[in-house]
Amino acid sequence: MYIIVEDDPSVADALESLLSGAGLPVRVFASAEEFIHSSSLTSEDTMIVDLGLPGMSGGELVRHLEKAGATPKVIAISGKSSRTIARETEGLSDLKILRKPPAADWLEAITA
Amino acid sequence: MGELEDRRTAVSEARFESLLDTAADGVIVIDETGRMLVFNKICERLFGYSSAEAIGQNVSLIMPPEFSVSHDRFMNNYHRTGEKRIIGIGREVSGMHRDGSVFPLELSVGEAKTADGRQYIGVLRDLRSRRAVEQRVSQLQAQVVHMTRLSAMDEMGAAMAHELNQPLTALLLYLQAVARQIKTCFADNKPPSDKMLGVLDKAVQEAERASHIVQRMRQMVEKRDPERATIDLREVVNEALDLSEFVAQGATVTIRRVFGMTPIHVDADATQIQQIILNLLRNALEVAKESEERWVKVSIGADDRSAFVSVTDSGPGFSEDVSKSLFKTFSTTKKSGMGLGLAISRAIAQNHGGDLMADPGGNGQGATFTLMLPMHHLDETEDDTWG
Repeated sequence: MYIIVEDDPSVADALESLLSGAGLPVRVFASAEEFIHSSSLTSEDTMIVDLGLPGMSGGELVRHLEKAGATPKVIAISGKSSRTIARETEGLSDLKILRKPPAADWLEAITA
Repeated sequence: MGELEDRRTAVSEARFESLLDTAADGVIVIDETGRMLVFNKICERLFGYSSAEAIGQNVSLIMPPEFSVSHDRFMNNYHRTGEKRIIGIGREVSGMHRDGSVFPLELSVGEAKTADGRQYIGVLRDLRSRRAVEQRVSQLQAQVVHMTRLSAMDEMGAAMAHELNQPLTALLLYLQAVARQIKTCFADNKPPSDKMLGVLDKAVQEAERASHIVQRMRQMVEKRDPERATIDLREVVNEALDLSEFVAQGATVTIRRVFGMTPIHVDADATQIQQIILNLLRNALEVAKESEERWVKVSIGADDRSAFVSVTDSGPGFSEDVSKSLFKTFSTTKKSGMGLGLAISRAIAQNHGGDLMADPGGNGQGATFTLMLPMHHLDETEDDTWG
């Protein structure tokens, strides 16, 4: 399952179109809180999370999941500067980062 | 005896004549009916009539037609009521040269009660050179405003890039999705589906969202000459608030808009007014960010004469010392150096016939800045409905 956590509805919808158009199973959440309250992860899942979420940020969500022992594949997306991204993902291991706007095909990057 | 008196009169008249002709200002004396009795050398130069031509004529000769009509009425009114509208006060009026050109004058009027009835002495000062200086100052002001607008743009640049990122990201992802699906269709020898058209529609919407942002930014950046137009203050302020939400994004300050339902028309340069609002808002947001409640309230209202926009923040207000120096051009009471912005804002407001006022707040009250502008009044031609 591909889990999208993104607060911008257009970006979330476009990402969903891209993944489900390729026949992949997708679920979309608008915030970290919404995801935590309604779902859990297996190690089979891939989570695509916006770092700049309002409320609990993407970085905090990943930290929360790591503490809970779930270690899914995580892909972080962000439109911020590389310095800000570095600060927000400090201490997080094994994180793939995709920057907005996309410079390459994201489906390949996500499924790779 | 009589001869001596005559001689004295002659001497004092000669003295008076020479005084008139050496005066640096124009001097005119008129009688109760508005007839000119004295017209000095400076006046000859100002208006292009010789004193011989002017003396004996009604003073309306040297006024633009729209003033000359009311002048007789003003004089009659004064004779009837004794209510002084100009005597001892002085004001700016328009004069008309023989060639028909109209120019600004400062006029002060004195009154003398003589044996021949009341006479009025007018002293006239040509304001054209002063006007030229004023024009230069307001040109400089426009330039400074343009410059501050540009530096505000710099700050907005990063915020705007972020704002554009979202629609651009969505747009590119929609296009990637469609491109893949079309490739699959070709591979399977199937026609493209309606679903792909739907995705393309969404892509177009995102492109429009992006271009809308760019358009609004462009409107703010483009240097325009001060353009006065009759504008709805609510619309203009709303646009500025929308724009500043780019800057406020991420910072969790709530902007409350307290607007009425009816349009509030003022005659103003919309861009300059927005510049003032943005400036006030930037200061308010900065203060509100550090406060507990984190809000900024923008309200718009009007009475018959003035329209106002008030910006209040949830901060602690200013101390008395700070509020005194608030509008000084280079006061740096605050790290952001809002002194210059406020001084420029006030200059713009005053240029529009309005003002910018500060209520420092304090004792748990945030500061309020109020921009006041004169209301637009329909003139008679607009008001006429012709049945």
